[in-house]
Amino acid sequence: METDDIKIATFHSHYGAMMFRRRMGGDAKLVPVPRSLSSSCGTAVVFTSCFDVTKTDENTEAVYERNSDEWRVIWKR
Amino acid sequence: MISADKGKLALTGVLTGAAAVVLTLLGNPGNMGFCIACFLRDTAGALHLHTTATVEYVRPEIIGIILGAFAMSVMRRDFRPSGGSSPVLRFVIGFIVMIGALVFLGCPLRMVLRLGGGDLNALTGLLGFTAGIGAGCLFLSSGFTLGRAERQSALEGAAFPSLTIIVYVLFLAVPALFLFSESGPGSMHAPAAASLLAGLLVGIAAERTRLCMAGGIRDIFLIRDFTLITGFAAIFAASLAGNLLTGSFHLGFTGQPVSHPYHLWNFLGMFAVGLGSVMLGGCPLRQLILAAEGSSDSVFAVFGMIAGAAAAHNFQLASAADKGPTVGGKIALVAGIIILAAIASLQTYRGRK
Repeated sequence: METDDIKIATFHSHYGAMMFRRRMGGDAKLVPVPRSLSSSCGTAVVFTSCFDVTKTDENTEAVYERNSDEWRVIWKR
Repeated sequence: MISADKGKLALTGVLTGAAAVVLTLLGNPGNMGFCIACFLRDTAGALHLHTTATVEYVRPEIIGIILGAFAMSVMRRDFRPSGGSSPVLRFVIGFIVMIGALVFLGCPLRMVLRLGGGDLNALTGLLGFTAGIGAGCLFLSSGFTLGRAERQSALEGAAFPSLTIIVYVLFLAVPALFLFSESGPGSMHAPAAASLLAGLLVGIAAERTRLCMAGGIRDIFLIRDFTLITGFAAIFAASLAGNLLTGSFHLGFTGQPVSHPYHLWNFLGMFAVGLGSVMLGGCPLRQLILAAEGSSDSVFAVFGMIAGAAAAHNFQLASAADKGPTVGGKIALVAGIIILAAIASLQTYRGRK
């Protein structure tokens, strides 16, 4: 299913989200954090490319993968 | 998912705007069905924190918003006690936000309700609010952060809602402990049960939808997202329709209820509120909701707003509806904006390191 490839990263600051999106490139996009996820900052980054842990930094909080109707943690600092 | 969120926000906005019009018809001051700044100020007066006789009343709307949001967050597992993200800075920012709101005469929610009542001074306020949010977004995009919040105990998270319950039980059981205005805006209020019910409903809905007056404009600036602004627009539409239907719509700059036509100070007052709200992560209403959800950082922001309200009235910094801003209010507001800019600059520098 196409939506299974969707991942979302949450951050400790909006700046962290901006920098992550820049490093990810491609279709990575800034979006509001979904209601079901908890986060320090209201901006998240949604992307479909492979998650690469080297693209994270100390501002990256967690990365989730869409699993049918819920988000599953695949990486957490 | 996004359109469902927009639908819920639109419903919450309509509920809030309609409830505000009804509360005004039932006795609240004009265009003041809800005003987080004014109502925290009235509550501060009732608690003897300031001595301005015309603005003293424990506003049940505030109690309802906090308890409605608290109950909903516990039921839906959104209750997440956290804290430690620059609490003292948040107190200071909350204090300055309140000074800005009381120079303008209203929080962002009342600004929208004033717009819906035809008060064009609120349009000047909206320009200032938008400019303040824009400035805040520049800081956010440059690295501004107040630091990470850490997990706290359930007791820490429940302390603020518990305090709210204690205050309201005392208010009902021993009203002689509190001050009540006999004239002025503080004496004008809807029946307590109606105010409490309206507050509960808005608290529940705002908790579920993350309704925020500043967040909508911020998200447009930062991520071109129009979800949160839906609530803002719906409150305006509902209050405009309600005021037109009830004959309470009066277009103009002068003769507006609890309002003044000093444009520069309306602009600057709401500029401070916009900038401060972005720094805090939400408008005064959102701070109440976050505090109810267990954020002790937002509790500090709310306490800062209460202290700011007390100072605004004890030191004559709040504007008067007929005379406009005071000299002290102008000085405090300009100093407050400089302090906000200094905090934002220093925290931006720290955030980039």
